[in-house]
Formats: sequence, structure tokens, C-alpha cells
Amino acid sequence: MKILLVEDDEYLAQLLNQYLSDRNYIVDVAVDGESGLNYARTFDYDVLVLDVVLPKLDGITLCKTLRSEHYQMPVLLLTALDNSRDKVLGLDAGADDYVVKPVGLEELLARIRALVRRGRYSRPPILTWGPLQLDPATCEVTYDSRPLSLTPKEYALLELFLRSPTQVFSREVIIEHLWSLEEPPTENTLRAHIKGLRTKLKAVDAPPTLIETIYGVGYRLQDYEDAPSPTKTGQESGNNTTLNAIQALWQRIKPNVLKRVDLLEEGISALAARDESLQGTARQEAHKLAGSLGTFGYHYGSSLARNIEEMLVQERDFSQSQIDQLQRWLVELRQQFQRHPTAAMPEPPTLPDPEQRRLLIVDDDRLLAEQIAEEAETWGMDVKIATTVQEARPAIVTYSPGLILLDLNFPEPGEDGLMLLEELARNRPEIPVVVLTVRDSFQDRLSVSRLGSQAFLQKPLPMPQIMEVAMEVIQRSHTAAKVLIVDDDPEELQGLKTLLSPWGLELEALDDPRSFWQSLELFMPDLLVLDFEMPHYSGIELCQVVRNEPQWRKLPILFLTAHTDSATVDRIFQAGADDYVSKPISGPELISRLFNRLERTKLLQNLAELDALTGLANRRKSSYDITNLLRIALRHDRPVSFAMLDLDHFKPVNDTYGHATGDLVLHRFGEMLRESFRADDVVGRWGGEEFVVVMADTDAASAVDRLSQLLQQWRSHEFLLDDEVCLKVTFSAGVAQFPQDGDDLPTLYRHADRALYRAKEAGRDRVFSYDPQTDC
Amino acid sequence: MSTRCILIIDDEEDIREVTQLTLELEGGWQVLAASSGSEGVNLARFHHPDAILLDVMMPEMDGLMTAKVLQDFPDTQPIPVLLLTAKGAMEVMDKFQDLGITATISKPFDPLQLVPTIKQLLAWEE
Repeated sequence: MKILLVEDDEYLAQLLNQYLSDRNYIVDVAVDGESGLNYARTFDYDVLVLDVVLPKLDGITLCKTLRSEHYQMPVLLLTALDNSRDKVLGLDAGADDYVVKPVGLEELLARIRALVRRGRYSRPPILTWGPLQLDPATCEVTYDSRPLSLTPKEYALLELFLRSPTQVFSREVIIEHLWSLEEPPTENTLRAHIKGLRTKLKAVDAPPTLIETIYGVGYRLQDYEDAPSPTKTGQESGNNTTLNAIQALWQRIKPNVLKRVDLLEEGISALAARDESLQGTARQEAHKLAGSLGTFGYHYGSSLARNIEEMLVQERDFSQSQIDQLQRWLVELRQQFQRHPTAAMPEPPTLPDPEQRRLLIVDDDRLLAEQIAEEAETWGMDVKIATTVQEARPAIVTYSPGLILLDLNFPEPGEDGLMLLEELARNRPEIPVVVLTVRDSFQDRLSVSRLGSQAFLQKPLPMPQIMEVAMEVIQRSHTAAKVLIVDDDPEELQGLKTLLSPWGLELEALDDPRSFWQSLELFMPDLLVLDFEMPHYSGIELCQVVRNEPQWRKLPILFLTAHTDSATVDRIFQAGADDYVSKPISGPELISRLFNRLERTKLLQNLAELDALTGLANRRKSSYDITNLLRIALRHDRPVSFAMLDLDHFKPVNDTYGHATGDLVLHRFGEMLRESFRADDVVGRWGGEEFVVVMADTDAASAVDRLSQLLQQWRSHEFLLDDEVCLKVTFSAGVAQFPQDGDDLPTLYRHADRALYRAKEAGRDRVFSYDPQTDC
Repeated sequence: MSTRCILIIDDEEDIREVTQLTLELEGGWQVLAASSGSEGVNLARFHHPDAILLDVMMPEMDGLMTAKVLQDFPDTQPIPVLLLTAKGAMEVMDKFQDLGITATISKPFDPLQLVPTIKQLLAWEE
């Protein structure tokens, strides 16, 4: 059990730390609110204990901040302030409990235990696994009533396993849960603790393999197959019996459930024929199905039934698209019964979220916009209309739409949809845009797709079709990840699709491994799921091929296999796989393994955040690096130069020679910048042809020198387009120096940009430094 | 400790059955089942179960009315009542606030978590 203690009183922190550590808790101590916040965001804790009065950030604000970020773990506030107003403040901020100093340590510990129990209410207070019992209140561990004497680490290990008895814990996860930051152990240390624990288990006649090694993955508790009667040992061992009984019950009542679905279908068909007499019955049946299907293992079925119920609550006047939607859900619901129910698992997120359902229509044709809005509202969207580009700009900021539907033509001079699209691509790339226009030139299509629009629709178009594209774009832009599954068994594929699709994953299922490579390159998945045994090519072969290709070396690969003997598992990992799930597939296990892998990949991507075309850091990443660099420079009192670079006359390059040439120029320029600066410097691409270079330990004069040399080199670089045309490009740059010309990123940017502007005014192809006299 | 006894009041046969089966197998508890509010009240007065699982949406005598009646009899008044509600039906909850309702369990529930959830909600140590 890991606790974060945020307490600035050193003595109290030490005392609590000692007291809690003696009782086998792992404690991290943060001495101010800000670092407490960082700890909580970065590491997993079971409980947070916060002092209220703290330097930098007080406990209540800290608690509020975490809760606003959907932080779920229990929070206990610790304070000397003892009046009810403070308590109300604390609890309203999202704290779960409130203890007044001076604290009785016994009481504090009891409250922590109670919070942890509540936080994970599904677990009984005494943890059991077959004959093994662990009582967190007394720290006593017994096997078949025989006591085990464990070291604190052995105890903590066992507690971790017992709290999630079916989970496989990787070494990293164990270390993160069981050791505080100051003393990270080696893997050997961990192995020694596991070994110690196994020896002690053996001494009380427990199987030493009770803690099972999952090769290449980690450790978990071994299944208890011959456990005694379920009533005595609690839920875990009873699972199979109970699940089998529920399964048998399901077979018996299935005909009744199907009758319910029939009634529901009758009601919906009647609605389609404008007969509302059966609506009430249909709604009731949908309600009952929603309430029961999940209990029998049809979780997605339950949510489909709930969708239907919610729509049927509406009194009357169903639009055709609503009827269609109801019928689609019904078909899907029926399909559910063709597969086996799955064990319980967390509810998939329902897509799309309300904030993603906000649609902004930017079109000067108000009549059309209103028609679209009406249609969109029946699809459950919230809609706003802007009839000019000017009107759209503030709406984008205040309304923060999940999707923009944009016309390209506007009657006002100087107003162009493409312009807005360009601004959006630069400033709000996360908002998906669908272009709806009467224009039809290839050039338009090209520019639109280059500016990152998700779809190009040609007017006129039937409303439902517009909405279908819009919904698809929203779904796609909020898709967690793309997963390619290769399995030669079509039924298995269908099952996997059903299992995974409610999780917002975009899936591509392939049943013929011979077209694997093509699918891989077309679909560009974020994760690959491979069946072990397949005709033509085995999963192992595919995995090896993927790993041999540099581009795909980092793609996470998950195996599905019916064999889990160590030789097979060994082969799987040898081939370069990241993880495996054994067949028959358990839904919850597959989901959690899959998201584990994806999260790790996402983390790596976030760390990189490179611009694909130039290989440079993107705006977000470079801003982050620059801020860091400035902080270090400030501490050591060193100058930093901040330069904005712009390629000269770049638009004509694109217009005259095409975008492919433009991309080539950008790529080369990026390459040159990367090669010309040190690792300490920051080089990033901030927009179309706009670059930033920040040089550590360099004053403005030296920076201008270096950039001028670079300009000379760049000027002489020739792009041979064909025999006749030889293209040369120049750049302009402005330099500002930290801290003289500005002590933060925005100021430096503004001033460097002014200098850049002056360089352009002066005829381009030159480097200027910021001059407070002229550039004010 | 003597075996716990639980009364389920729900008009839907499938839910009643799966709940009964789960509580018997997972909790080792004795389970009584009633398919209507009035039947439930009668069973409760006769057997004095340790807890009642009560469905909210039932024809004729619904959960709200059943809970009221249970509160009116001094012998059933102290029995903790857990409501079974479909998700998203939280708006009915405030009507139940003064009726001695201990907590709610939302439908569909995970059968394997039902016993631990009830134990936790009622603070039953075993």
C-alpha cells in the first residue's frame, strides 16, 4: 500500500513516515503543494494525506486541482484548523476525510484503512486467496490458519497480489507500487524478495508456485482450482461455480429474453409505421433488457438496450433518422446473442462525449445551415451557426466545438474558408474540420487535405449523408487507437470486433495472413494483435517480419495463443512480441493488456512529438523544451538566444512547383537545422514555413553570426527540379536575447518576431537582432 | 454466526433468479424472493431478513411504496434496504432519502461483485 504524504512540517512528516513504514506502508513525502501535485500526477498511490496549510499550493487547492483532473484515489486532509467551515471547504474540495491535528496516529491509520476499503469497495476487508489470508488491519498473514512471519517487503508484495488476484504484475509495476522514490531496487532485489516469500509459503505447506512467474511479463497469483467450498473462501474461488450456474440459468431464460427483443422490435416497427400504441411496452422491455443483460455477461447488449430506452422515452414525433438509428441498434442487439457472454468488465466509454458533440457550422447560406443544424440535433448534437468567417473566429474560442463544418466561399471580400482552415490547422489542430462546398477543383481538394481537413464534401448533398460523415469524423478523431487483428478464424475475429469496438478503437480484422503486409501499410495500426497458429504464415513469422522493418520496430505486438507452455511463450518473445493473451480469450484481460500496451506507446510518442516532415520538434514539444532551457539559463545566469526563422517567398514555391517540392524544401531545411545545432539547443517547426531556434549559452551577436553563416550555406543549396529549373531558397530571421529582450517565452517570441518582420521589410534574406528602439 | 438471510423483491424473473443464485453461491446466504411489493412486505414481516434488495420499477406497488410500507411497520422498519436501480435513474433517489434506504446497487450488476458490495455497504464482517 503506497501513501503520498504532503506535509511541510518536517518533524511531523518524519514521525508519520516512521509510524506508517513500521506498519508496512510505503510512504513518499512531498514538502510543498506543488511537488505534491506532481507526485500525485506521476505515481500511483492508494491514499493521499494532505496538510491544508502548505507552501506554494495549499492542500485544498491541490485537492481541487486533482479532482478536476478526475483523480480518483482517496484524499485525507490533515489540519490544525478545526472549525466546521474549514471542514466544509475541505470536503467540498473533494477530500474524503478530514483529521484535525494533533493527530492520534492510531486513529489516522484506521481512517486511512477505511478510505482504502471504500476506494476499492469491491474487495472485502480481509484479503483471501484460497487458504491464504491477509488482514490489513493487523498485518497478519495466515495460510490454512498457520501464521506466516513476513518481512515488510514480502508482506507488501503479497498484499499487492491479493488486492488484484488475477492481474499479472510486471516488475516495473511492482517496483513502482512497493518502493518509494528514494530507494528504487534492482531487479535482483525484487527477485530475492519473491524467492523469500515463496520459501516462507513452502514452510507452511503452501505451494511455492502460489506466486507464479509469467515468463517475460511478471508475476501473479496462481489460480486456485481445487479450493474448498466457495461459501467459506469468499468470492474468488467461487467464481467458476457461480459463473457456470449463471451460464446454465442464461440458457434456460434465453428464450424469454428473445421474446422481449421481439416485443421491442414490434414496438419499433410500429413506430416506423407512425403507430405509437406499442411505444410504452417497447420502452419497458428495453428498460428490462438494459438492467439485466449485463448481469448475464452481455455488457454491450445492456448499453444498446439503454440507448434504445433513452430514445424511446421521447413522447412522439420520431424523425426518420431516429427510427433508422433504433433499428440499427436493434439489429446489433440481436447479433449480441449469437456470441458467448463475457465475464464482467468495466463499462466501455460511451462515445461521443457531450463536449465532442458540439458542432459549429460556418456557412453564409443560413437556410442550409439551419437545415443541417436541425438534422444534427436529431443526432444528439449541439449546434452553433456562424455565417461569416469573422463570426466563426470568436465562436471557435468560446464554444470550443468538437467538429467544424466549413464552407469555402464567402461573399465578403477577403473572407475565405481556406484562410480559416489554415488558421485552424496552425492554432487548433485538434479540432476536426469537414469542408462542405460547391467548389470542385483538384487544387481546392489538395489544399484542403493538406490543411488537415478530415473530409471534403461537395454541395448539394442529402442531410443524412452529411451527418454520417460528420459523426464518423468525430468518432475517428476521438478514437483511442487503431488496432489490426490477424486471425484466420472469422468467428473469432467477429468476437474480437464486438469486444473491442465499444472501446473507441478503430479495428481492422484480417483473416488471411497473405495480405498482411498490404493491410499493415494501408491501415497503419497503433497496435497489432496476431494469432499464433495460422495457415500460410504463422504469427511468429509475421512478427519477425514486422520487427525487421525499421519503420515498424516500435509497433506494439500482442499474441493470441492457445498454448502457454514455456517453450511457446519463449518463441513468442524471441520473435519480438510485447505480450500475449491465452485462448480462450478473457475479455477483461485482453482489454487491460491492450490498453496497457497502447498507453505505453502513447507515452513514448508524447515524449518524442516530432514533426513528421522535418524531423524537428513540434511547437508544443519545443515550447516545453525552451521553457526548461530558460529555467536552467536563469539559474546559471547565462544568456540564451531566441531566433524566429521564416523561409522567404515560400508560398510561390508551393504555387509554382507544387507542394511536393515545397515539402522537399522544408524537409531539407529541417535537416540542415538539425545538423547545425547542438543537443543543448532547441530547434522546432512552429508552423508552415516558420521555425524556431533557441541557442543555449549564446548572446544575440553570436547568434546573428551563426545564423548568417547558416544562411550563406542555405542560399547556396540548389534544388534541381529538372534539367532546366534550379531552385534556390533563402530565409529571414530575427533574434532576441534572454533575459535582456524578454524573460519569458511569449515576450522573446514577440520580440524575435518583430526583428524578423524588420528583416523581411528590409528585403528578406538576412538576419536581424531585436532593437528596442526600432522594434517597439 | 448464523447464516445471513436476504430478501429480494423484484418483478423480473430473470433478475430475481440470477440474484438469488449469486447470493446463495457466492455468499452462502439464505435467500427469499418475492415478485411483487406486497408479497415482499409479507415475507419481510414473517421472516425478518437481515437485508432487503428492492427493485425500484415494479408494476402496482413500486419500490417507493414498498419502502414506505416497510418503514410503517415497526418490525420491518430496522431492516436495511438496498435499492436495485437501472443506471441513469438517479433522479428518483431523493424521493427515497427519508425512507431508511441504506444504499443503491445499479443494474446491471456484476454477479461476482454483488456479495462483496453488499457486505461492504452493510459493513458486514465475516
